[in-house]
Amino acid sequence: MGKIGLYLCECGPNIAEAIDLDRITAEIKKDAKVAGIERFKLLCSEDGKRFVTESIKERGYERVVIAACSPKQHQATFEQVVANAGLNAHVFQMVNIREQCAWATPDKEQATSKALRFIRAAIGRVRYHWPLEQKEIECSPDTIVIGGGTAGIEAALRIAQKGRKVFLLEKDEPGGTRRDREWMAARVDALRNNPLIEVYEHCKIRELLGFFGSFVAHLETREGNEVQLKAGSVVLATGAVAFDPTGLAGYGYRELEGVSTVREFEKAASDASDGHPKSVAVIHCVGREKLGYCSGTCCVEAMRVARRVKEASAETEVTEFYRDLCLPGTEHDRFYHETAKTGVRFVRFRDIDVAREGPGLVVRYRQEDGSSGSVVADAVVLSAGVAAGPANAEFARMFNIPLDEHGFFQSEHPVLNPVGTVTEGVFVVGGCRGPAGALDATAQAGAAAGKVLSALVPGRRLRLETRTSEVAEALCVGCGICVAACAYGAATLNEDRHIAVVNEVLCRGCGNCAAACPSGAAQHRQFTTRQMDQEVTQILR
Amino acid sequence: MAGSFEPNIVGFLCNWCSYAAADQAGSNKLEIPATLTTIRVMCSSRVNPVLLVAAYLRGADGVLVAGCHPGDCHYQTGNYNARRRFALLRGILDVLELDPARFRLSWISASEGKRYSEVTKEFSSHIAGLGPNPLRTRPFIE
Amino acid sequence: MADQTTDVLVIGAGLAGVEASLVLANAGRKVYLVERQAYFGGNVIKSEEVFPNLECATCMIAPKQSDVIENQNVELLTLTEVKDVRGEAGAFGVTLLRRARYVSLENCIGCAACFEPCPVTAANEFEEGLSQRKAIYVACAGALPNAPAIAMGECLRSKGEECTACRDACMFDAINYEDKDEEREVKVGAIVVATGYRLSGAGLPDRLENVYNAFEFERLRASNGPTEGEIRTRDGKKPKSVALIHCAGRREKGYCSQVCCRYLAKFARYAFDKLEGVEVHEFIQEVSVPGKDSQRFLETALEKGVKLVRTKAVPGISANGSGVRIEFQANGKSESDEVDMAVLAPAIEPGSGAAALAELLGIETDGFGFFRTAGSEPATATRPGVFIAGCNSGPKDMQTVVIQAEAAAAGVLKMNHKDTETGPGEETQERPAGSGDG
Repeated sequence: MGKIGLYLCECGPNIAEAIDLDRITAEIKKDAKVAGIERFKLLCSEDGKRFVTESIKERGYERVVIAACSPKQHQATFEQVVANAGLNAHVFQMVNIREQCAWATPDKEQATSKALRFIRAAIGRVRYHWPLEQKEIECSPDTIVIGGGTAGIEAALRIAQKGRKVFLLEKDEPGGTRRDREWMAARVDALRNNPLIEVYEHCKIRELLGFFGSFVAHLETREGNEVQLKAGSVVLATGAVAFDPTGLAGYGYRELEGVSTVREFEKAASDASDGHPKSVAVIHCVGREKLGYCSGTCCVEAMRVARRVKEASAETEVTEFYRDLCLPGTEHDRFYHETAKTGVRFVRFRDIDVAREGPGLVVRYRQEDGSSGSVVADAVVLSAGVAAGPANAEFARMFNIPLDEHGFFQSEHPVLNPVGTVTEGVFVVGGCRGPAGALDATAQAGAAAGKVLSALVPGRRLRLETRTSEVAEALCVGCGICVAACAYGAATLNEDRHIAVVNEVLCRGCGNCAAACPSGAAQHRQFTTRQMDQEVTQILR
Repeated sequence: MAGSFEPNIVGFLCNWCSYAAADQAGSNKLEIPATLTTIRVMCSSRVNPVLLVAAYLRGADGVLVAGCHPGDCHYQTGNYNARRRFALLRGILDVLELDPARFRLSWISASEGKRYSEVTKEFSSHIAGLGPNPLRTRPFIE
Repeated sequence: MADQTTDVLVIGAGLAGVEASLVLANAGRKVYLVERQAYFGGNVIKSEEVFPNLECATCMIAPKQSDVIENQNVELLTLTEVKDVRGEAGAFGVTLLRRARYVSLENCIGCAACFEPCPVTAANEFEEGLSQRKAIYVACAGALPNAPAIAMGECLRSKGEECTACRDACMFDAINYEDKDEEREVKVGAIVVATGYRLSGAGLPDRLENVYNAFEFERLRASNGPTEGEIRTRDGKKPKSVALIHCAGRREKGYCSQVCCRYLAKFARYAFDKLEGVEVHEFIQEVSVPGKDSQRFLETALEKGVKLVRTKAVPGISANGSGVRIEFQANGKSESDEVDMAVLAPAIEPGSGAAALAELLGIETDGFGFFRTAGSEPATATRPGVFIAGCNSGPKDMQTVVIQAEAAAAGVLKMNHKDTETGPGEETQERPAGSGDG
């Protein structure tokens, strides 16, 4: 099992005065399990660190236990110290006898007995530590972007640089839902002209396999050719869809002439050359009850419609019907005030109904205080939110990414990893992740670019987590319980050999599979059952 | 409280939440019972109930498992798995004729040092009241 | 061209600065992360729980903070500010000013033995003045780096007294009264400005006894705060009614601060969690909760029994004994309400010193003082080589802050340091306000 060296840190008076280190030394000597016991005033000082490295070498220790402060303070420090002595960092165990012992136990004798238990547990454990290899694998620095809308285009442009290629896969033409905006044409041009980006338009994705560092996409191009693309990361930018107000009671969409969505209204307005409506009603928040969230862009969109109408014809009466005004960003309060100054009327409503009235329409509304009113309009424009796109379900399945209750992709964590997912190397940006305006989509695309550029560097191999799980083939019965337990898709069943296999690129080292495994085949490196059992045994002896 | 029985309690703390809370308790010089010796795991989901059964068979008077609050698990859903597994443990404790109160599952976040101190003190005192683990003196199989 | 370097300077070690630094460090870049406070983590660590999952803010960010401290590529420089910037993208020369901490970060082990003997007390700024600290202090329990600083302006030594109480108590030889402010030159190729925000005083009533701003209320609720998480009025009583006031300062500032509707919903939940039987009265003009998780978050709070009142404008707030009187217009009538405690959501504005920093860096600010992004770029400032992340470019929620920080890092990584003619706006177009966001 190797010679064990035990280091006791006094931490100045913090440990030395609260714990009887002499008694500890005597008891551990009696146990006769360690080859040497070293005591030092402050192990984390430069002197202390040097002392540990030198003494490991001199005394030939092969396993090291350091009893000091919390591993959360200095585990990393001492791993480096042990490595400097020529040992593998993982044959070392740190014992917390400060925060959870010396500082928390007023009675010195009790503190000493507790420290003894902690130290014995570590000594029992460390005998079963073995060197863990820091594995590195080759990986591709290239990226596949799925979806050629705002987010996809921005991601592609921000990732493409020397040493990496970007493959942008789009089922139609690039431009997405904003394809008719003036600025989008310039972005699509930039995309097409970038020599590092390969755009596959009108393509079909047949299959997408692999994992972080080595994804493989099989696709059929518009010409019918089969193409295989390799990449290290994937950015999902499949977008969202405008909420369809068809069938929504009270709005008359597709039932009454003159009721249209914002997009339809703008298109009709740009096509039409004859006259202007006398009165336009714009209704906010269409579909909000059904969607269950605020899309964040429709209030501003609705005001934009009002401004365009007023610019084209100042005499046209425009009424904006809203529930709550959502004006994100520093510019939009002013935009709202300016809009009101152009003569646009803002009416807050609680209930609303659009009906036919003669040749035109009438909008009847009730307000929060119970009062009601009506406005006659030639055109009613519905400003609706956005919904999750139908493509999400398929990709969620393909990549093992959960969808939220609204059908959008879930990030790994909303704050800690907003554009990453539980599947390492797969990022979600733009409308497929949640309602997002163009600026949001662009920022998210930039964020994904940052993550990709940082995680995969040309010429640099991927360093894997060392404390991963492994499945002992001889013990595995192929029950698949670990596959279900893993939140990261790191465990899969090899159908041919009927055993589970852990992908060390994806494994995050939580140990869930190890606890779930009925046969003990799955073990969590550095937290094996034997190691933990040793701790339990020593604590209870 | 009768006698001077000092229980021997084993605790399993998850690295991200409860272990940090325990550290914070100590840093603030709050008391953690001397009867509790802890084992660090990366996630509460690492703790296999079989290991806990072994602990009881070896004479642990009480076992505490502490993880992150539901929804806050560093590994997404690990603590939910833990919770479901330990529901199994109750049945096993029945068979061993051990009081189910000898096992405690607690959710403690990293900033709840004070709560860690309170929970562990309360648990230790409760275990002391229950007396020693009967399996220490009674053979499990007659 | 002068010696080019790929090293990066990140100014501000709050949520945005930490995230940008880690992304850059993982890409192999050397990062100087400077922070003017003695601790880092910015405003995030003031909160007990955060949207959307109400998880513990400090626990959530702790792994990233540990990463910053342990990462070989990140050099964290606390109590440090930027004094001067010269040069250009790819080769900036920066003068940093490190203020004296008077405590050695190498020797100090964070045992806190030096606090008790210090004879000087002062208001604790981190705790928004709700509690006191000593002249040698840490911002709060758990603040990182785990070492105090001496506010020399308050220390008796600066007044000529030979007080050595703290140094006498230190077993680790960590206190050094001879420490001096020090300048240091660094060369970097890019700069990320992540200086954060503060709460504005605009539109707020004068100091009233039981009226709190958002940060103060957060500190009341914080487990490591002045009341250990108990919500109490100034005279230590449990409030039976709490008023939450939206949009304080919005009209004066001229923009919506985005996050307040959500955090006031969070405050409602704080109140219901900690105060049994409490009444929560919320005074609102527009409910603004964009985002897929926000509406549900608000509804969950409202379901607990919030009395929501839609008012014509921000209510008038005045003292009524030790309580608070709220006067407002609703449904065309003038009404008033009496509560034990009121919490205001002030406007969010750039952190102090933003204007001076903008000038130093040669970047533009907008009419509100926020750093301006170039064109429609999410994270690029108006000068090549300078990037922006966080609320210093506009109020935003934590998720968006992190996204912007990662985008800023992408901007840095995309800079070809051999070709610095690439500037902002090269691939972008200006998108007029109110037109392109849909």
